Amino acid sequence: MITAEALHKHYGDKVAVDDLSFEVRPGTVTGFLGPNGAGKSTTMRLMLDLDHGGGVTLFDGRRFSAIRHPAREIGAVLEAKAFHPTRSARDHLRMLAAGSGIPASRADEVLELVGLAEVKRKKPDGFSLGMAQRLGLAQALLGDPPTLILDEPANGLDPHGIHWLRDVLRSLAAEGRTIFVSSHLLSEMSLMADDLVVIGRGAMIYNGDVDGFVREFTRSTVLVRSPHADRLADALRGLGGVTVDLLGGELRVSGVDVDEVGEIAFRHNVMLRELTAETASLEAAFITATEAVEEYVGGVA
Amino acid sequence: MNDALRFEWVRIRTLPSTWWLIASALLLGLAMALSVAVATHDEPRGHEVVGVVLTGGGANVPVPLIAVFLAVIGIFATGHEYRYGTIQPTLTTVPRRSTLLTAKLVVLAATALVVGLVSLLLNVVVALLVWGDLPGLTDWPLNEVLPGHVVLVLLWTVLGAALGQLFRGVPSALVVILVVPLVVEQLIFSLSFVPMLDWLAPVVAFLPFTAGQQLVHLGGVVYGQFFDRWVSGGVFAAFVGIVLAVAWTRFNRRDA
Repeated sequence: MITAEALHKHYGDKVAVDDLSFEVRPGTVTGFLGPNGAGKSTTMRLMLDLDHGGGVTLFDGRRFSAIRHPAREIGAVLEAKAFHPTRSARDHLRMLAAGSGIPASRADEVLELVGLAEVKRKKPDGFSLGMAQRLGLAQALLGDPPTLILDEPANGLDPHGIHWLRDVLRSLAAEGRTIFVSSHLLSEMSLMADDLVVIGRGAMIYNGDVDGFVREFTRSTVLVRSPHADRLADALRGLGGVTVDLLGGELRVSGVDVDEVGEIAFRHNVMLRELTAETASLEAAFITATEAVEEYVGGVA
Repeated sequence: MNDALRFEWVRIRTLPSTWWLIASALLLGLAMALSVAVATHDEPRGHEVVGVVLTGGGANVPVPLIAVFLAVIGIFATGHEYRYGTIQPTLTTVPRRSTLLTAKLVVLAATALVVGLVSLLLNVVVALLVWGDLPGLTDWPLNEVLPGHVVLVLLWTVLGAALGQLFRGVPSALVVILVVPLVVEQLIFSLSFVPMLDWLAPVVAFLPFTAGQQLVHLGGVVYGQFFDRWVSGGVFAAFVGIVLAVAWTRFNRRDA
C-alpha cells in the first residue's frame, strides 16, 4: 500500500505539485495520468525522495528513507535509459543487486524474465527504447519487490511489447503487489488499470476507479437509427436535460438511458432499426477532465 | 555502509573506462620513468633524478600525470551519474546521500592508493632494471617525496569526484582540473615575476594545484614563494576540502 499525503513542490512561483494526497492499493494496477507538465514525474520523484518537497509518502507505513533495502521493497524506474552505455545489462543489474544485498544470480533471472537474456553481456549503448524499457523493468523487478513505481514504461514498446507489459503488470498485481504506473497510452491504460490518479497542473483531478472516471467526465450517449428519426427527436427534445443530435436517420441522444429512449419511441409509435448505448472512452474522459489544465497547448495547422 | 561500498566497488570495476584510465596512468608513468632512467643512465644519480623517475616528473611538471588519470576516474564516479541518468537507480538503491558519497570516496581513495603504490613499485623496478641500483630512497627528500606523491594522487582523485558532483557532470569538471593548473595558475605564477605585478607573489603560495605540487618537490623551497612541503600540501588539501564540502552540501540539499 502506498499512501501519499499532502505532497507539494514548487519551483519559485510555479507550483509543480499542489497538495496531492492519494492511496495506491495492493492487488491493483493504478494508472497515473495527466497532461504533459502536469507534475507526474515530479510527484513520483517526491515519493521516492529524489526531489525535496513537502508531504509524506508511506510504503506499507514506512517512509522511503527508513527502508534499509528499498530495491527489495519498491521497484522504481523513472527514466528509460538510466544506465551507463558501456556497462553490460547484466553488470548494471549486478551493481544494483550488490547495493541491495541481492544475490548476483538474480540479475540473470530478471533478464530472462524480460526477454533480454541473449544480450545480457552486450553494452546497452545500442539498445532500442523498447529494450531499454525492458531493462528498466528488469531493474524494477530485481529485488522481487511488493511495490512497483513505473514512469511511462510502455514508451517505445512495440504492440507485442505493450501487450506483454500489460500481462506482466496485471499478473504482478494479481499476486497482490502494488503497481503505480504512469502512461500516455490511454487505450492501454483503460485495459491495464483498475484505479486512476489523474492530475492537472500538479493538483488532483480524480482519484478512484476507471469506470467512475469515465462516468464523471463524459456523458454516455444513446445511438438511435430510425426511419422516423425527426419525430423521435422532437419527442425527446420535450424532455428536460436531454440533448439530441440529428443527422439524417441517425440520432445521438444524451441525458437519458437506452431504456427511456426505447419507451418514448414505443409511446410515439416510432419504429427503430438500432438502439445502442455508447460508452465514452477513457481518452474522451481524460480530454474532458484535463482540457482546462493543459500546460502546453498547440494550434491547428 | 557495507552495501554502499559493495555497490560502488561493482560500479567502478564494471566500467571499462576505469581499467583504460588505470592502464594509461601506469603505462605513461612507466614510459616517463623509462625515458628519464635511460637518459640519465651515465650521470650521477642524485635524489632529484631518482625522484623524477619514481614520481613521473616530481614538481617539474604542472600536473602530476598519474594523478590526472585518477582524477578523471573520480570525475566519472560522480559526473557519470548525471551524464547517464543513473543517479535515479543509484539513489533508489542507496538512498542515503552521505552514505553514497562516502562509499564513492572510500572506494576511489582505495583505488588511488593501490594504483599510486603500484605505479611507484613499477617505476622502482624500471629504475633498478636500467640503473642496476636505486640509492637514497630512505634519505631526505625522497623519504618525504614518496609519501607526498601518494597523498597528492589521493587528493587529486578526491578532487575529481568532488568536482564531478559539484558540476553534476563531466565536461566542466574536466575543464577545471586541466585548465586551472595548466593555464590559469601557470599564468599567475609567470606574471608574479613581472616587476609591476610583484603584488601577485604572495598569492602564488595559495594557488592550490601549484601548492599541491610541492608535495613532490625534490629540492627544498622553490623560489622562496611557497610554504614548506606539508603546509603547501595543506593548502591543496584545504582547497579539495572546500570543493568537497560545497559539493556534498549541494548534493544533500538539491533534487537528484
